[in-house]
Amino acid sequence: MKIEGTHELRASRERVYQALIDPEVLKRAIPGCERLEKTDEDTYSATLKAGVGSIKGIFTGNVRLEDMRPPSHYRLVIEARGQPGFLKGEGDLDLEERDGITVVSYSGDVKIGGTIAGVGQRMIQGSAKMMASQFFTAIEAEAQTEAHEAPPKHGFFRTALRWLSGRLRRLFRARSQKTNS
Amino acid sequence: MIPVQFDYAAPATLDEALSLLAEHKDDAKLLAGGHSLLPAMKLRLAMPQMLISLGRIKDLAYIREEDGQIRIGAMTTHHQLESSDRLREICPLLPETAGTIGDVQVRNLGTIGGSLAHADPAADWPAAIIALGAEIVAVGAGGKRIIKADDFFVDMLTTALDPGEILSEIRIPAPQGRTGQAYLKVPQPASGFAVVGVAVNLTLNGGGACESAGIAITGVASKAYRASAVEGAIAGNALDEQTITDAASHATDGIDANGDLYASEEYRRHLAQVYTRRAIETAAARVK
Repeated sequence: MKIEGTHELRASRERVYQALIDPEVLKRAIPGCERLEKTDEDTYSATLKAGVGSIKGIFTGNVRLEDMRPPSHYRLVIEARGQPGFLKGEGDLDLEERDGITVVSYSGDVKIGGTIAGVGQRMIQGSAKMMASQFFTAIEAEAQTEAHEAPPKHGFFRTALRWLSGRLRRLFRARSQKTNS
Repeated sequence: MIPVQFDYAAPATLDEALSLLAEHKDDAKLLAGGHSLLPAMKLRLAMPQMLISLGRIKDLAYIREEDGQIRIGAMTTHHQLESSDRLREICPLLPETAGTIGDVQVRNLGTIGGSLAHADPAADWPAAIIALGAEIVAVGAGGKRIIKADDFFVDMLTTALDPGEILSEIRIPAPQGRTGQAYLKVPQPASGFAVVGVAVNLTLNGGGACESAGIAITGVASKAYRASAVEGAIAGNALDEQTITDAASHATDGIDANGDLYASEEYRRHLAQVYTRRAIETAAARVK
């Protein structure tokens, strides 16, 4: 299955890139991440409690960063399995800076199998979008935090609030573009 | 196909259910008809440690008329709504929607409250209750709270209910004047869930033009949504073929559609436009 999307983050490209490759930041920002350990150069082992609503599962797997070209690009290779099924995929992240806003575009191909693919197929894309949106909202908050400050918290309500304010911003931007044209 | 071990409680009152929920928090799930929760538990996609059944609570299954509203208890089954003669007369969209859900077994046990609280992105009820401008009554430790249907669905399988709240009632403004309603869907052949489902609730004025329109679409995005652009395009206008076709072309404006193996994003968008047109035409033809 193809997964792609773009997210706009109000932070400089360098800071966003730094956040996206910092294991401590990723551990805080990835929804449901319970463990993330470095096992080799640019390779991590992770445990994820992922899910939507009452549907939840624990996945363990490996994440590898490749083809790193700071601050504009890297490639992510993921392999994970858990009780509800397995997933295997790779994708490219590209960062572009436009007027102080960093636009992150991701596109990848993911293979999903097991129970979750058999009975939850119709919800996989929606869940992926929901988790990506939570993740980038958290990364934005991380990238906006100065190095000496305490890391931001990502409780459900904080993430929901940030997500909502992002939605509103986009909505108003779309509105003003409409009135301008 | 065997769930992990869990505890089970069947309280006799809503208050007891609320205190059990407060006690077990995230480890608990409420059991209504069980036609989404139990399959998920058998597949071990959901593993609640505590199941709180609402089935023994008296007076949660009813259809009443009060203060110009139709009030439906959360535990009212799809079948009870489908077979209500009074609803067929005053708000036919409800029985029509109920009749398209799953199969007979699902409709006999599945409930409107359970379906809404589960917030499956392809469930049928969300479209109907948004189109009808309904309100959801949530009961919590602090008392009653009313949530507009438009604000109730937050994202896939996620609602505006707090973790300690129970959905107790659905309130629908009783349709007044010259109204016409329709729910049309493309069912997924295996599951019966809506690939696309469109609910329409029209009111016409004396001259035959559309006075107000409630139109909502399920199955396309991560949650059911109000098709505001379509509503805006027909409100105030005579419902001729051209107006309806033009309006329906806005069915997915600003919507992030989802795709799966059965139907791509593009196909869902196309179906949404075609079924929005047909649902408006059907509702308009039914105006009395």
